[in-house]
Amino acid sequence: MTPESAFDSAALDNLLAAPLVLAIMLPLLGSALTTALPRLAPLLGTLIAVGTAGAAIWTTVAVWTRGPIHLVLGGWDPSLAIALRADGMAAALVLMANLVGLAISVYALGYFRAPDRAQSFWPLWLLLWAALNGLFLAGDLFNLYVMLELLGLAAAALGALTGSRDAITANLRYLLVGLVASLTYLFGVALLYTAYGTLDIGLLSSAIAADEPSPLDAAALTLMVAGLAMKSALFPLHFWLPPAHASAPAPVSAALSALVVKAAFYLILRLWLDLFEPILDLSASMLLGLLGAGAVLWGSWQALRAERLKLLAAYSTVAQIGYLFLFFPLLAATPPGPSRDNLLAALLLMALTHGFAKAGFFMAAGLVQTNAGHDRIDDLGGTAQRLPATTFAIALAGSALIGLPPSGSFIGKWLLMQGAIETGQWWWVVVGTLGTLLSAAYIFRVLSRAFGLEPTPIKFVTDARAEVPALMLSLVSVAVLGLASGPLWTLLGLNASGGGA
Amino acid sequence: MTKDPGRSGADARNDAAAAARAAERDRDLSLLLAVLLTLIGIALLGIYWLALNEAEGPRLADLALGLVPRTGVDNPVTAVLLNYRAYDTLMELAVLLAALLGIWSLGPAPAGFQRSGRALAAMVSWVVPLLILAAGYMLWVGGYAPGGAFQAGALLGAAGVIVRLAGDPSAGLPGEHAQRALSVLGVLVFALVGLALLWLGDGFLTYPPSLAKWLILLIESAATLAIGVALAAAYVGGRPATAPASTLASGKAGARTEPTGEGN
Repeated sequence: MTPESAFDSAALDNLLAAPLVLAIMLPLLGSALTTALPRLAPLLGTLIAVGTAGAAIWTTVAVWTRGPIHLVLGGWDPSLAIALRADGMAAALVLMANLVGLAISVYALGYFRAPDRAQSFWPLWLLLWAALNGLFLAGDLFNLYVMLELLGLAAAALGALTGSRDAITANLRYLLVGLVASLTYLFGVALLYTAYGTLDIGLLSSAIAADEPSPLDAAALTLMVAGLAMKSALFPLHFWLPPAHASAPAPVSAALSALVVKAAFYLILRLWLDLFEPILDLSASMLLGLLGAGAVLWGSWQALRAERLKLLAAYSTVAQIGYLFLFFPLLAATPPGPSRDNLLAALLLMALTHGFAKAGFFMAAGLVQTNAGHDRIDDLGGTAQRLPATTFAIALAGSALIGLPPSGSFIGKWLLMQGAIETGQWWWVVVGTLGTLLSAAYIFRVLSRAFGLEPTPIKFVTDARAEVPALMLSLVSVAVLGLASGPLWTLLGLNASGGGA
Repeated sequence: MTKDPGRSGADARNDAAAAARAAERDRDLSLLLAVLLTLIGIALLGIYWLALNEAEGPRLADLALGLVPRTGVDNPVTAVLLNYRAYDTLMELAVLLAALLGIWSLGPAPAGFQRSGRALAAMVSWVVPLLILAAGYMLWVGGYAPGGAFQAGALLGAAGVIVRLAGDPSAGLPGEHAQRALSVLGVLVFALVGLALLWLGDGFLTYPPSLAKWLILLIESAATLAIGVALAAAYVGGRPATAPASTLASGKAGARTEPTGEGN
């Protein structure tokens, strides 16, 4: 089942369908195989991870060369069947998620050395991966609900893998919050089906645009966005995130913070832009922006006060998700054109940068924790000498979280502030600046502790399999996304006028 | 999660204080949740009232019913689940698998109940074969009347629950290897059928009308077994005991203390 083997099929439709289908089906099959053959789990899991990442790259290349892909499964009427779709935005996120997923898989090989831990990890992780790809590529509201359930269940089970009391409590709470959230989302879907009689996002979009705005639309929007905001830990619904993400095993924390939360945010963005654009006014976007501002300030402040490295990283996720929500009022106030395109690309650039940087940060934090036996920030002295490559990875990822040049989030924040000034919403500039200062404070607090007055290290890399993935992800977030972000505009099919870089 | 026997009293007091703080935090949290949920509930009532009064919009039922003859089955519900929206059903089987894997990841199963008395054992030996027979009937009848893989699997799962309640710690399930293989059977067969159709040029999960009935029956049979095993194994509530054959093969499993040979 390699991606290449499907080239044999003659029909062009099938060739277009193959990468999308394989990106979802390969990890699903991998999960079944690693469950049935637990002793081969690490080997099978690694092979499947490479294959899935290959399918994701293939998907992105297909979108790059042919433009958006839309396919209806089963050969039925589009309103009756389920559609998959991949446009520039989906392809960019799929690419990020799968590269991060590949790095997490390599890292997990070294992290889960005990066979029974590895046997529990691989099938659940591959199910989580299948759900992520399925979610990014879905074109049907009910199918999205199924993907959300799969994602939430696999994520909570993975988070509790350490088996400690704290981890199980935190993740049981995460599971219950997730269930309430997806049921809230489902209620919104049911309302839309009652009103329009279809679940396909494309058909619904034109139906909503053709109809007059009704209170039912507004109610469906509120329910769906509220459910997803709970899942994406938007302030003040973030309460479940820090304990769940901080108590999970390091590769799982990386996946939860970098990918799972991002998937829920991506859905909000899609619903906002694809479905509800015609019925929205500025006040709804303003509310999301305000909550985002709260998340930036509160999350950064809590990260600064955190005593443990992983808790700091978890609160930093709350803050970084907040930045993404700051874009909504700006998008609403900007008329279609190059400056709006730039805002959209900047939003995506920040989401991608955070994905790479936070995964790298959590993986490096996990190495510090296994090496030192704890992750108390105050007692990190000498880490730079013991684990130079890992400390370098933390510093790189940290600079991307702050938004220092040349990281991708620097360009993202620059365009965010530019947009805020252009639309006259200057207060977001204040929020962005304060958040950046706070994040600089919490990152430098870690770095200042990590360097101690000990002899200079002899070897830069001490454990390649564990340290290199974290370093690569951090490097991508700073160098690749920052210096070579131009292609993102092309992938999104936008005018590459601003570019920023 | 065993407690360290050599802990000092100070540690215990610290733990108690921490527990009190945690309880206080939990109380705050549940209050917040209660307020939120009440508000959401009031809003939902309003919306429900609104949806009831809204003019009835278009529905897919006519379209779906009209195409049923081309799906390979006669029951419209089965047509939706296994043909129009087969991809959703495949993912629902994956959700069930995720739940089972989550339960298995939390540790070995607790001990079962004591052996049943004669009267109960006699009744169980009556009811369980009937349940299995009824599951087979449900699977077949799903083609043209209400029934299908989920209903049949639920009956199989119920048979497992009864067997465990009557004292068999493994709920009548086979050893670990067979259990693992059976629990993924639904996802595996479903996904492989879908990919094979993509490979042959029909498209992912696009059944050719002449084969649709048999492909659906194949998928549903595999799904029935997988659902039945997953539900019974979920009721057992933990990782299955390692089968005797693999105990010999791997030295590590010998450290476990589960009794072997409980099946006789």
